[in-house]
Amino acid sequence: MNALLEQFLSESRDFLQGIADKLMQLEENPNSTELMVELFRFVHTLKGNSGLFDFPEMTRVLHASEDLMDAVRNGRVHYSQELADQLLEAMDFVGILMDEVEGTGQLSNQHSEVSAALAQSLRALIVSAPEDSIEIGSDAISILLESSEISIPKTNVTAEKPTLNLPEEIAVELYRTAKSGDVVTLLEYAPEAECFFKGEDPFFLVRQIPDVLWREVTTLNNAPLAEMDAYSCQLIFRVITTADVIELRELFRYVPEQVNFKTLEAASFILPDGEKEEDALQDEFIASALELLNKDDTATLIRSTETMLGLVAPTLWFSSALRWLLIILECDAENQALKRILIESLHTFELPNLTNLAAEIVVEKSPVEEIIEKSAIVLSEKDHARFDMIMKSQRDVLRLPNNNNAVFVGRLKAVATTLKGCCLALNKNSDAVEVEKALETAISENSSEALLTWLANYTIPTEKTVEIVESEKMVKSEQDVEKLIISPEKETHDSSLIMPNRRAEDNAPASKTLKVDQEKIDRLMNLIGEMVVAKNALPYLANRAETVFGVRELSREIKAQYAVINRVAEEMQDTIMQVRMMPVSFVFQRFPRMVRDISRKLGKEVHLVLEGENTEADKNIIEALADPLIHIVRNSLDHGLELPEIRKAAGKPAEGKLLIRASQESDRVLIEIIDDGKGINPEVIKNKAYEKGLIDETTLERISDQDAVNLVFAAGFSTAEVISDLSGRGVGMDVVRSAVEKVNGTVGIESEVGKGTRLFLSLPLSMAVTNVMIIESNKQIFGVPMDMVVETVRVPFDQIQAIKQKQTTVLRGKIVPLLSLNELLAQNIDQIPNEGNEFATLIVRIHGENVGILVDDFRETVDIILKPMAGILGGLSGYSGAALLGDGSVLMVLNPRELI
Amino acid sequence: MKNILVIDDAATVRLYHCNILISAGYHTDEAINGIEALEKALTHHFDLYIVDINMPKMDGYEFLKELRSKDIPQAPAIMVSTESAKNDEMLAYNAGANLYLVKPVKPDELLSFTRILLGEGI
Amino acid sequence: MAIEYKKSLAIFSGNVSVEEAEGLLDFFVKNPKGKINVADCSHIHAANLQVLMVVKPIITNEPKDMDLQTWLHIALK
Repeated sequence: MNALLEQFLSESRDFLQGIADKLMQLEENPNSTELMVELFRFVHTLKGNSGLFDFPEMTRVLHASEDLMDAVRNGRVHYSQELADQLLEAMDFVGILMDEVEGTGQLSNQHSEVSAALAQSLRALIVSAPEDSIEIGSDAISILLESSEISIPKTNVTAEKPTLNLPEEIAVELYRTAKSGDVVTLLEYAPEAECFFKGEDPFFLVRQIPDVLWREVTTLNNAPLAEMDAYSCQLIFRVITTADVIELRELFRYVPEQVNFKTLEAASFILPDGEKEEDALQDEFIASALELLNKDDTATLIRSTETMLGLVAPTLWFSSALRWLLIILECDAENQALKRILIESLHTFELPNLTNLAAEIVVEKSPVEEIIEKSAIVLSEKDHARFDMIMKSQRDVLRLPNNNNAVFVGRLKAVATTLKGCCLALNKNSDAVEVEKALETAISENSSEALLTWLANYTIPTEKTVEIVESEKMVKSEQDVEKLIISPEKETHDSSLIMPNRRAEDNAPASKTLKVDQEKIDRLMNLIGEMVVAKNALPYLANRAETVFGVRELSREIKAQYAVINRVAEEMQDTIMQVRMMPVSFVFQRFPRMVRDISRKLGKEVHLVLEGENTEADKNIIEALADPLIHIVRNSLDHGLELPEIRKAAGKPAEGKLLIRASQESDRVLIEIIDDGKGINPEVIKNKAYEKGLIDETTLERISDQDAVNLVFAAGFSTAEVISDLSGRGVGMDVVRSAVEKVNGTVGIESEVGKGTRLFLSLPLSMAVTNVMIIESNKQIFGVPMDMVVETVRVPFDQIQAIKQKQTTVLRGKIVPLLSLNELLAQNIDQIPNEGNEFATLIVRIHGENVGILVDDFRETVDIILKPMAGILGGLSGYSGAALLGDGSVLMVLNPRELI
Repeated sequence: MKNILVIDDAATVRLYHCNILISAGYHTDEAINGIEALEKALTHHFDLYIVDINMPKMDGYEFLKELRSKDIPQAPAIMVSTESAKNDEMLAYNAGANLYLVKPVKPDELLSFTRILLGEGI
Repeated sequence: MAIEYKKSLAIFSGNVSVEEAEGLLDFFVKNPKGKINVADCSHIHAANLQVLMVVKPIITNEPKDMDLQTWLHIALK
């Protein structure tokens, strides 16, 4: 994927989110013009961006959205819920398209229907604007123009005769060819003057053109023979052919800028020619011909035209027109308008700019064309049009009134710079000097007049300057021009060199924010992790220096060095952690939209309050948080908050409140989701759990209310009576629990019937460094996350009792089940007690219950960088990952929750 | 090397324009709104400005008016807009633009106009 | 030699290259009424064509190559 597309996708997602945010804010503040303008700008920019790519389906919808927002912004359409819904839907669609583009690099063509439908429904919301609001705009402009007192000298641009002088019989032949369906192309080839020196033979090239119907070669050379430069090419070839334009382009591929192709329409050949003398019979003929034309009596019209032809001299223009009329009657009999125009032209002997088609050949001489002739630079049709456009724009600028003197002068200068640019681009350096003079006059007179006059004069063809003369002048004035045009500040300023694809942030132009690919951060973190591990090897080394090699001095030095490296490594680690930190708002920002959509669907009224959005945690944690949190919010909306009527009946406000709050507690992030809904009834939960076989009868009777409520986290439990489309997708809160536990988080719930529910998630700030206890079992070492370890005890052999074939012990008056690690790891070996016949036992807390795990021995605790296991090993849920130890060995870290 | 300031709030559009111009051998600088553009224009020399209309904080019209009212060499300005509205075009000229082009501006179009406005031939 | 000069006649043969243009121009400067024989000529380089177009000499023998004949007629008209 190219960088531009990547930039587009990344930026557009921000805009989509921004649009959604603004719509949410508008909901609270429907009259805020500021929000409206912002929203418009987002949609507008997004549309502009999409226009750079060939995504018509996307652009269409965005364009309609933009138009709609424009109407809203201007007060022509009122902001409404429906409108917001439509826009959100449109943006969702755009988001889907972006996903596709991101995934496949392109857009399949299957979206056009949806796109059209969306665009249509958006446009349907734009009611026709009241007239007055439009008029204000155009009035402003007309005032702008009318107040301009400057008179514009009319340029007498005379439409010249067609440049192609085709004999009638050839014109007729070309006309018939074009009528028969062949594409007739006029090729104009003006080789550059130096082409002979480049080994080109333009004549040879021209002779390769196939299917030539007409040809012409002219030379601009009219100097006396003795002064002629044989090696400066002054030829212009023109050829009319039916050859394929693609083929022609291929033929001229080395000199594309010197050739011009024009497709000639049949009508463009209809150019009667001859002596323009009146004939006594002509008026009568015209009248009867028009009558026959009205009656659509073609047969009689042909006969009468043929009769007329026999009566007039064939050299007359009249005669020529009659012959054309016959041909048109034969080849294009249906074209009433053309016939009428031709017949009517018999009055005046002028074919009025008849055929817009004929205009193809009769090119109006624009100022630019004059320039070209003088300087003999051949412009392509496109460049030609561009010069023309620039000149016209400058005229428009100059005609504007002086509303603000400072701006006015600046505008004059800018126009002059622009015109000078044009002159220089055309190699007309002397003209650039004139522009400069005109500017000086204009500034001293404080009027655009001088520049306008220059522009106007530029269009009037003066003498046909021979190029040699022109170039002499150029040489003289060139140096002066340089002085005038190059401004004193024109120095390179390397300090301002800025990489083109750097990305600036909208909100803080001065801040140096950098968007970095997450992969790079991850890589950096892995490297730092490895360094931490490598660093840990130093104490081993110091130890070996002392004990094995007996060099105490060296050992001390290594230890001192270690202290330094250790500090730096820790700082690095801290810093990279900071880089990875992101605010919970990343997850929170999607809630307003979600809550709105769901509550609307359910017919509930919900007021969402977000708190502590700036609380930060590791990116992985934040990302892991998203899904569980969404699930919880959906649950609250679905099952927690009641319908407005029910709430009112219960004496609560119709609008329910949902609070999502994030806060930091030492090294953990706490997220609370609090609603003031109906709460969870422990009785219902108990019965349900019993029905589903999750608890037995004794538990049913003895379980506390709080424990009952906790049952919602039990696997296979779902309270929804009706599986709704929202939360009850066959999964319950157990999914939330396991997702949170995966990142070493915990989840809890409190609820009071009729008052509401509070769910809370506690997550580590960072999952990068894990403190583990190393234990030994069956001659292997394993790590156990310290946050799971409640305590370590040594249980004497005789205090282990078997209850229902399960080993237990009593610890401070409570029965604790005991499990052997070897057994959990499917190793049929007994744990080894110490000399005192005590078993090393790790008490871990799992789902609120203490469990003892018997191991062979405890070792030290270490900080490690836990890496999840990849590949086949990743499927082993009993391990949460592996880490490298200082001596280079691998430590497998157990996940007791899954193990048991 | 000719220096061109590309002013647009959309990073994508800036990248698009800069890529085209840089590939043709121009040096470019960027600004994300009128305020930043004005700061740069007053401290650096530019040979051409490519200006978006709709931008936060200071839009293209305001920027050009400010620019034109300063006593500095006045380089040509191309205003690029998503709308081909005569109204907008006249407002652009009134503010001090020298050319009004409709987005997306095709690469050859942008380069051709740039070369002409910079007096570099066709 | 692609062009053979005989008093006031230039005889073209084969493919007349760009190098001939200077000589051709000199020939016509000296012989403004010079004529050309292009019967055995198959192609003339554009530089020569340009010279001929300014001089418009009389063609004593038309080229056998019909395409070249058509072009010369148009060019020297």
